[in-house]
Amino acid sequence: MSTAVALSDPVLDELRAILGDDHVLTGLSARYNRTRVPSPFPVHRWKDYVPDVVVLPRTAEQVSAVVKLANRYRIPVVPRAGGTGLADGAVPLRRGIIVDVKLMNQIHEIDLVDRTVTVGPGINMLKLNEELRKHGVIYPDDPASYPCSLVGGRIGTSGWSLLGSRYGHTRDLVISMQWVLPNGEIVHIGDGGGRKIRKSSTGYQLKHLFMGAQGTLGIVTQATLELVPRPEVEFAAFFAYPDYQAAWESTGALARSGLATLAGVVLFDEWKLRYLRRDDEAYIPQPDDVQAVVATAMYGTRDEVTPAARRLMRIGHETGGRYLGDEISQGDWASRHDRYATPLHGRLRDGQVVPMSWHCEDAALNYSVLPQVREEWHAIADRFIERHGIFDDWGMFAYTNGAYKPGGDYLVEIDIGIWEQKLNDENWAAWVQCKREITEVTLKYGGSITACHGSTREGDAEYVPAEMGGGFEVMKAIKLALDPNNVMNPGKNELDRSYQPVGSGEG
Amino acid sequence: MVGFKLSLQKPPEAKRINDDVIMRFDDVYEIAPEKMQIFPQQDLPAWDTLRIVASRWDHLDWMHAHWADSTLGAEEIEAGADAATETETEAR
Repeated sequence: MSTAVALSDPVLDELRAILGDDHVLTGLSARYNRTRVPSPFPVHRWKDYVPDVVVLPRTAEQVSAVVKLANRYRIPVVPRAGGTGLADGAVPLRRGIIVDVKLMNQIHEIDLVDRTVTVGPGINMLKLNEELRKHGVIYPDDPASYPCSLVGGRIGTSGWSLLGSRYGHTRDLVISMQWVLPNGEIVHIGDGGGRKIRKSSTGYQLKHLFMGAQGTLGIVTQATLELVPRPEVEFAAFFAYPDYQAAWESTGALARSGLATLAGVVLFDEWKLRYLRRDDEAYIPQPDDVQAVVATAMYGTRDEVTPAARRLMRIGHETGGRYLGDEISQGDWASRHDRYATPLHGRLRDGQVVPMSWHCEDAALNYSVLPQVREEWHAIADRFIERHGIFDDWGMFAYTNGAYKPGGDYLVEIDIGIWEQKLNDENWAAWVQCKREITEVTLKYGGSITACHGSTREGDAEYVPAEMGGGFEVMKAIKLALDPNNVMNPGKNELDRSYQPVGSGEG
Repeated sequence: MVGFKLSLQKPPEAKRINDDVIMRFDDVYEIAPEKMQIFPQQDLPAWDTLRIVASRWDHLDWMHAHWADSTLGAEEIEAGADAATETETEAR
């Protein structure tokens, strides 16, 4: 198994020969700024995770050369795109080389005939869509980090899109990729062989294996993406309910409506409403009988959306919802494309405001278990808040999870604020234990640890073998075969177990 | 010419909305000062508060226009449905 090494001058000299002097960064600020991601971080141990060097490649050949060098010297390599992930995928647990792909941000080709755009992994979706707008098309991958996350990171985490029920999630929107394997070889990864082929039965479906690999199986250097017509119309409607049960039943009815233009249905629970009524200007004026909210959104042509919206409004009303009005519906919906712009504060038990960073647990759970999971998750959070004081429960939401076929399962988040400045080893250990207990509830109810962020954080990663079952042995075998020196993002997803001798009691 | 005068930019007196919230400008809510004892709210001139609020609306408008050619409102939908129903009824 590789271990982090302080890089010697010959290694740095080789990196400079590959990339040029200006694209090999050893300064403290360059390295410290690429250590963490926005999710709560053990800031008291920041320096334990600072990479040894940052490189900024511009071509696949340069990425390949860096990975080959890393194998020769057994240096960990961690790819990093926007650094907006919420599960530490881009955090270099063993230091080493950060491969920052931000300079690989070109649009290589727009093909309006076969409906694809081919880009580098360093491009941002918002900037890409500004260019695509000129052609009447969009790339509809829309995370809450839309203005700041990059295509490479979306592939690394197998991202989840706010518009996924209508247009699919990242895995559905990426058609094929150019990929640098852990041995440095450059290969095509897709559904079969064609760069612009959406469905193939040739060989193994490698796209799904590499999608969401969190940098443990190599680095994407180019991606061919789906194009869809730019929507003529956007429609958003938010409904209020006097209790969670009514809102949950209404969510089910809306999600099962069969309306093809439906982009998503989101259920906010009572804890979320208490948080919003306390600290969100749109909800402060809401009366006390608003105990839960269901949000919906649609996109498409005017001819499709207008009658579909009419039916959606009817379902909302018939299931007990009170429409909250155009201003809050449209304003709140627009803000959901950009949650990273929100300055975050939380409250102590006595109501005092303190700065907090934002953690969101992001399990995938079936519709039927949402009410019970909600009770158990909040009970866990409340116990840790009472005991440690530096956490704050910001409530839960459940968001339709299935691409094109919403309703059966949901991305379920509990948002918890953490006063990072107060973190120490004891508080951090408590936080990780809180995450573990939340994860155990998820697995007890047949869910998955993560719908979108990835299972690479402490408190989640330990449960990957339990969730995957026998499939974890397959993961280990793949990792060992493709990355025999464990250079690619070591320490993630419990994959270090791939390198332990048979009979060591692990696995 | 009258130069910038901070006194003219003093925010209006706050109205109490509830135990947690005050309001100085219409629909612009602020956390009550007694809940910000550990990290006190900084003093903002009126123009800066109004600039921030206007920027937020600009941003949301931009986001709507970014994703679609137009935004359809439920109030318009339901008014249209009512009008259609009325037209149908009259036709009978």
